[in-house]
Amino acid sequence: MSFVYQCEDTLEGIFTAIYRIYEDKHHAFETRISLVEENLLFAEYIRVETDKERAIKVMRTCQQKFGEKDYFGLCMALSTGDLEKAQAVYKTIAYGLETKPAPGHLFDHLTDDYVLKTFKLSSTACREAHHWVGFLRFRELENGILYAVIAPKNHIMNNLMEHFSDRFPSENFAIFDEKRKIFGIHPYRGQWFLATGEKLEERFREVPYSDAEEKYAELFRHFCKSITIKERANPRLQMNMLPLYFRDYMTEWDKA
Amino acid sequence: MVLQNKIVCEKDGAAPFRQGTMSLMEKLEILSDAAKYDVSCSSSGVERGGNGKDMGNCNKAGICHSFAGDGRCISLLKILMSNECTYDCKYCINRKSNDVPRATFTPEEICTLTMEFYRRNYIEGLFLSSGIIDNPNRTMELIYRTLYLLRHKYHFNGYVHIKAIPGADGELIRMTGFLADRMSVNLELPTAEGLQNLAPNKHRKTILTPMRQIQNGITQNKNELAIYRNAPSFVAGGQSTQMIIGATPENDYQILNVAESLYRKFDLKRVYYSAFVKVNEDKMLPSLPGGPPLLREHRLYQADWLLRFYGFKAAELLDENRPFFNVMLDPKEDWAVRHLECFPVEVNRASYEMLLRVPGVGVKSAQRIMKARRTAKLTFPDLKKMGVVLKRALYFLTCNGRMMYNTKLEEDYIVRNLTTDKERIKFGSDGMSYKQMSLFDDHMFTGVVGIEDRYRSAVGMF
Repeated sequence: MSFVYQCEDTLEGIFTAIYRIYEDKHHAFETRISLVEENLLFAEYIRVETDKERAIKVMRTCQQKFGEKDYFGLCMALSTGDLEKAQAVYKTIAYGLETKPAPGHLFDHLTDDYVLKTFKLSSTACREAHHWVGFLRFRELENGILYAVIAPKNHIMNNLMEHFSDRFPSENFAIFDEKRKIFGIHPYRGQWFLATGEKLEERFREVPYSDAEEKYAELFRHFCKSITIKERANPRLQMNMLPLYFRDYMTEWDKA
Repeated sequence: MVLQNKIVCEKDGAAPFRQGTMSLMEKLEILSDAAKYDVSCSSSGVERGGNGKDMGNCNKAGICHSFAGDGRCISLLKILMSNECTYDCKYCINRKSNDVPRATFTPEEICTLTMEFYRRNYIEGLFLSSGIIDNPNRTMELIYRTLYLLRHKYHFNGYVHIKAIPGADGELIRMTGFLADRMSVNLELPTAEGLQNLAPNKHRKTILTPMRQIQNGITQNKNELAIYRNAPSFVAGGQSTQMIIGATPENDYQILNVAESLYRKFDLKRVYYSAFVKVNEDKMLPSLPGGPPLLREHRLYQADWLLRFYGFKAAELLDENRPFFNVMLDPKEDWAVRHLECFPVEVNRASYEMLLRVPGVGVKSAQRIMKARRTAKLTFPDLKKMGVVLKRALYFLTCNGRMMYNTKLEEDYIVRNLTTDKERIKFGSDGMSYKQMSLFDDHMFTGVVGIEDRYRSAVGMF
């Protein structure tokens, strides 16, 4: 008999499920966390309702036992779209609590399959976040707000907002995640926050770009062209470094 | 800041886009085109958080914002202040004797461009160099003034890379250093003779003097910062330099030795190598029918990494009798096959330094191996998962006393196996090949063998 905990696909949901497993005192080898509906004959299914307090307890434990950096790694792994991520992170935490590595050394144990999987997931997400930090493009709207649209594979809005609010503290800017329909909004010298809502989408869509916007976009397009050394042209390398799926969102690749 | 920016835009509304007869667009085109042969693109080395009100911060790892058609990253707004130049360096597109369109940015134009590009996340900062306007001092002063304006009027807190102009006054360089994140002085050519032949106005001494000055400034500043935490930082990102490869007849061994001594004696962060692109016709310059020597540049960069991160010495990689890199093998493979007495290496016991010397094992994977083997015995599948390139490493590694396959530890055998794929790609494509001649030119057949073909060959129908 195995126990399958089913929870919702959020950071809090998964951490609540982990709390529940420890609460129920099930052993790690007979327990699983699943994010999808499934029906196995020899399994007992337990639905987990997300509970903020319990989730925070698990988060705090992870922070204390594994250190800030590794806790961040676990969170990044959970930001991916992988369906097995909850199981991998749960097993990684269980492994860590059992073997008690020093803080910052959770991901040393790469011979463990689940630790390796979590590590891979978290590096994928971090790498993508780093890519978007560079490839994201703001466009200035008529009202002076900077507005960017992105479509990342993983949920990396938090990373982006952290980075850009530090970089542009005195700007009003908004980043829109097209895939998840989430806005990250930063007001002038204020604290950033996330927001959703169709009205918000519409409002941003209605505002035209400022007059200067097209001029600077054009300047940058010309810059990108003139900085290329023709004798060294290498479109393959360019494609390796800047994959095509970013280009739909980048000013210099506009068809205009 | 939004408001401030707006004012700047409106006030200079017409000016930045049309000044005199030349528009900002034309200037940007001319002056970025003139700056493109400067190789440095990195925006790394400085970690500086935002200050809560001004625009900009710096990321230690550096951030690439776009990639140009030649595959090089666009991280900084790489421009010349002016391409007017009183020097006549043979290899340079901007030399005095060339008839090319000339332009000069005003400091305000550079600041506006930087700020507006930065706001839109096009760039990570500014890279500013210049042709020699009148004399080195005047040029350096103009650069300093621009940077001062950018930092103190426009309150730009992002990354700035400045070229120090050789021959400029020490005080000017020192003042600029306090405003810049990285400074570089171009070595231009690896040897003094080369410099004398191709850049008659530049001298080895005037290049090395500012380099030494910046180095001393950085050391001094580090000591100051240790005592006074809020002391202004001087060239926090370190200094770099660049050399042109293939314009003069130096060999790889000489170049690598120069690079090594620069790292050792001048504490440089990076030495860049720039494959010579022939932009001028001149009897002093070599003709390059095959285009810029890109493979040579690539090998030099590989060796450069070996010097900086893998604990190699220039003398280990090359020597007087073999002054050029192997075309077929990368420098690390080349070293490994010539030192088979050091191999195979036992993954579970070898030192970190030795692991780094195994082809196919990089810094990251070597670190992972060191950490992982504390808790478990590693196997070849584990290594693969950790990022070791087994295709190259398998000839040099054992796991628990066993090699991955039954391979021979012979130079010829390993070289043949390491080069097979590459040969086909690089040399097979144009008909030229280092492969031994054979009756069966099977590598020419690229089509997929289907079930039908097998059937046909089995029953003898062709």
